[in-house]
Amino acid sequence: MSESLYTEIIIDEGKNPQNHGTIENPDISHHDSNPTCGDQITLQMSIKDELIADVKWHRHTEEGKTAEDRNKNCTICMACTSVLTQMIKGKDLDYARNLKKEELLSELGLEYLLKQSPIRIKCALLSLKVLKFGLYSYLAKKLKDSSSLDNLKEEAAHLY
Amino acid sequence: MQRTKLSIENVRKDFAILQRKVHDNKPLVYLDNASTTQKPKQVIDALINYYNNYNANIHRTVYSIGEEATEAYEKTRDKVAKFLNIPMREEIIFVRGTTEGINLVAYAWGRKHIKEGDIIVTTEYEHHSNIVPWQLLVKEKGAKLEYIGVDDNGELILEHLDTYLATGKVKLVTFSLMSNVLGTITDAEKIISKCKEKGVKTLVDAAQAVPHLSVDVEKLGCDFFAFSGHKMLGPTGIGVLWVRRDVLETMDPFHGGGDMIREVHKYEATWNDLPYKFEAGTPNIADVIGFGAAIDYLSELGMDNVRKHEMELTKYTLEKMSQIKGITIYGTRDISKRGGVISFNFHDVHPHDVATIVDGEGIAIRSGHHCAQVLMERLDVAATNRVSFYIYNTKEDVDKLVQSLSKVSELYKL
Repeated sequence: MSESLYTEIIIDEGKNPQNHGTIENPDISHHDSNPTCGDQITLQMSIKDELIADVKWHRHTEEGKTAEDRNKNCTICMACTSVLTQMIKGKDLDYARNLKKEELLSELGLEYLLKQSPIRIKCALLSLKVLKFGLYSYLAKKLKDSSSLDNLKEEAAHLY
Repeated sequence: MQRTKLSIENVRKDFAILQRKVHDNKPLVYLDNASTTQKPKQVIDALINYYNNYNANIHRTVYSIGEEATEAYEKTRDKVAKFLNIPMREEIIFVRGTTEGINLVAYAWGRKHIKEGDIIVTTEYEHHSNIVPWQLLVKEKGAKLEYIGVDDNGELILEHLDTYLATGKVKLVTFSLMSNVLGTITDAEKIISKCKEKGVKTLVDAAQAVPHLSVDVEKLGCDFFAFSGHKMLGPTGIGVLWVRRDVLETMDPFHGGGDMIREVHKYEATWNDLPYKFEAGTPNIADVIGFGAAIDYLSELGMDNVRKHEMELTKYTLEKMSQIKGITIYGTRDISKRGGVISFNFHDVHPHDVATIVDGEGIAIRSGHHCAQVLMERLDVAATNRVSFYIYNTKEDVDKLVQSLSKVSELYKL
């Protein structure tokens, strides 16, 4: 699997992930982690006129301490996070909301992980899961009745 | 009859899985034995033989195959007693594994004897199975959990224990005999003798130790002792909890059900004799019998030979690895103080990436926090790679691992 998994693009994106950092007073901020490997992501977005004006991600511990220098997320996780943030930056919320996992994976040629690696797929899709839950919380707050968002929540909960 | 030296070549013939290929015909190199070991033909045959020839429930069956099954099941208890020098067979309780053994103690002993304000002491290099059951217990009881720290050499700082013991509030000290991450062998005799002076109970998590070291439970002198069968050639789902008889007699049942009772009436019941009081329901008969075959196998090899073989491999690996640029090895370099478990990081490549890349070469190593997040925090890492040896591993396996790390360097342009 390593031959196909660790392609140049994945290693490059993983080594130099884009949109790393923090946003002050973000409109959306959501955190999640993978218990098996310790990958952690906080995804932050600022929203202007239904557009994702800016997006940044970083790692931190559960207590909120920054742990950037402690250990990085794995390459697969970082490459996917980098690509995902590039895909959604400047796009409207509907685009992010409707983004399918297959679309993200195909950007890096990783669709086969869905079938072949129940373990590494979690690394690849953590950022998308954080995005979907973040969007859900943001949108649900604006609505009196959030039942129209049940699909989004369902999708986030069963992404992998 | 114990052999004088291991014949690795002969040993390897007993493990069919070592013949298999992974990823485009690469021979499997299995280096994750601290997680679970492979099973020899003898163990698998014992399982098949039970199911094919005398599958029956035990203890309550009066027909011939039931008698045979009961005898084979109970024979394993005697094998465990002999293997670990346990004087009384009724002190040996079959459980699912170390985790269940420790939870049994936390529930059946801890809930009865731990009170508000009491202290339970564990260590920073414990597996989650020797931390979380105690967290649950102290929360319930208003007691406190304290930790013996780990020094930069990967060894326990026993002065911390002295400080806790001096409070007079410690009721239990619980520690692993060998760290599943660093391989450090704990100075158990020292800890236990300090505790005994103060009348404090001790629990030994021997999941990593029993498969690799010669252990004498009576000499050790602890009160509770737990380990798993699947880390020592046996089937999954079977382990042992040993409890000193006078302590066991103070404990209430863990699970209620069949076989653990003497008499059951509408509103009350009385308990069966030891150890059956703690073995409710139909037990894992087949795997207990398979576990007996695993003990036979190891007894024949001789645990001193097992240890000697692993020390050689550990020494060889540490030497080889120290020559690799960008490698960080955790724990002591003194092989007399550590078992065949080596944790390392390679440059700043995440262990999951390292493990996936070497897997592409057919090499199975563990990556992650190894169910020891408290220790990961102490080491200031999120995860490590880990190799761990057993009787079938060779220096060639180590060479292949070292070789495969250059694949990582190549891909990451290190």
